[in-house]
Amino acid sequence: MRSRTVRGLLTVALLAGAFASVQAQDPRIGNRLDAPTRKALTALLDSARARGIPEAPLMEKVYQGLAMGADGPRIVVAVRSLTVEIANAQRVLGTVATTDELKAAASAVHAGVPAVELGKMKKQSGLRRSLTLPFTVLADIVSRGVPVQTAANAIRSLVGAGARDREISEFQRNVQVDIEKGAQPQAAAETRVKGAVTTTPAARPEKREQE
Amino acid sequence: MPDWGRTTLELIVQELQRPVRVDESFDRRVMVAVRRSYAERRPRGVAGWIGAAVSVTRRPAYAAALAAGVVAVVTVGMLRSRPETVAGTAPIPVQFVLVAPEARSVTVVGDFNNWGLGDTALVAENHNGVWSVSAPVPAGVHRYAFLVNGKQWVADPTAPRAAGDDFGQPSSALVVEGSAE
Repeated sequence: MRSRTVRGLLTVALLAGAFASVQAQDPRIGNRLDAPTRKALTALLDSARARGIPEAPLMEKVYQGLAMGADGPRIVVAVRSLTVEIANAQRVLGTVATTDELKAAASAVHAGVPAVELGKMKKQSGLRRSLTLPFTVLADIVSRGVPVQTAANAIRSLVGAGARDREISEFQRNVQVDIEKGAQPQAAAETRVKGAVTTTPAARPEKREQE
Repeated sequence: MPDWGRTTLELIVQELQRPVRVDESFDRRVMVAVRRSYAERRPRGVAGWIGAAVSVTRRPAYAAALAAGVVAVVTVGMLRSRPETVAGTAPIPVQFVLVAPEARSVTVVGDFNNWGLGDTALVAENHNGVWSVSAPVPAGVHRYAFLVNGKQWVADPTAPRAAGDDFGQPSSALVVEGSAE
């Protein structure tokens, strides 16, 4: 019994050592991070792993920070913030959400969309529909000044009407162009969503029957 | 249809439905032949052992445990399986374009190339001020940005914005659809 415990502890120690070694040998990071930053990031990654949060988006954030010349504390803050956002997204989307969906959802949360809104969309759309693009567009239009509730309602209408990714992309482009031409963001989103919903499969029952 | 036809048909059906009496040892002889044929075809050694039929009558507890294990594995697999998993799909060619007539150099960096760390940046070609580069990008959602003249970060004006400029620089979002959709 005792030897089994010792063997178990040894295995855990070896695995932990291997992970630390991999982190240390990451050629992309090299010596670009100081020791306190490295330690803080390792703790964040350990914690994320223990909570089932995907690590890839967190590492991408580290790389982005390094590429953009951010200092260590700023990178740690960004990674910590992303960890919380992904955790919030994961809580409402459940284990069926893909890493991409979680990344996109975290962007929307970062933009100011309450996680509960994302959960409603997931419930409405069903488990098979990926909401990666809808969440990405939601984050985009909110960051362009569309009020959160207006943006969430618009995306929920589109998803609920069975809009495909390309239709939601077109909606995003139209809203973007309208805003760049001087339209009020809320008006642009509300107007464009009306047109976009009419082109969705749900709005064309006779065509769907033919198909 | 005339009455005689229906009567004949009914007679045929009745005859076909009548149970056929067979020798009582018939079932046993058939199963012996099946087992012999199976044993001849089954490979020997470990492969044969793996392929051997499992008796559930002698070890009901093992069989129950095995069944429970199979159910658990299948259930966990179903719970953990994610819809539209795009991992493993081939990267999709994507063209990045930036109009920057005054630029001397333009590169593209993002999640898909580890933000250019380790000399992985995509170098765009200049076509009279229209800078462009194509590269295969894995399916999924990516953040990226253009780096103009090696120092100025520029978001893709034609793409959705990536929310939150954590590092004080703009970036864009790219969703590459896999073959799963």
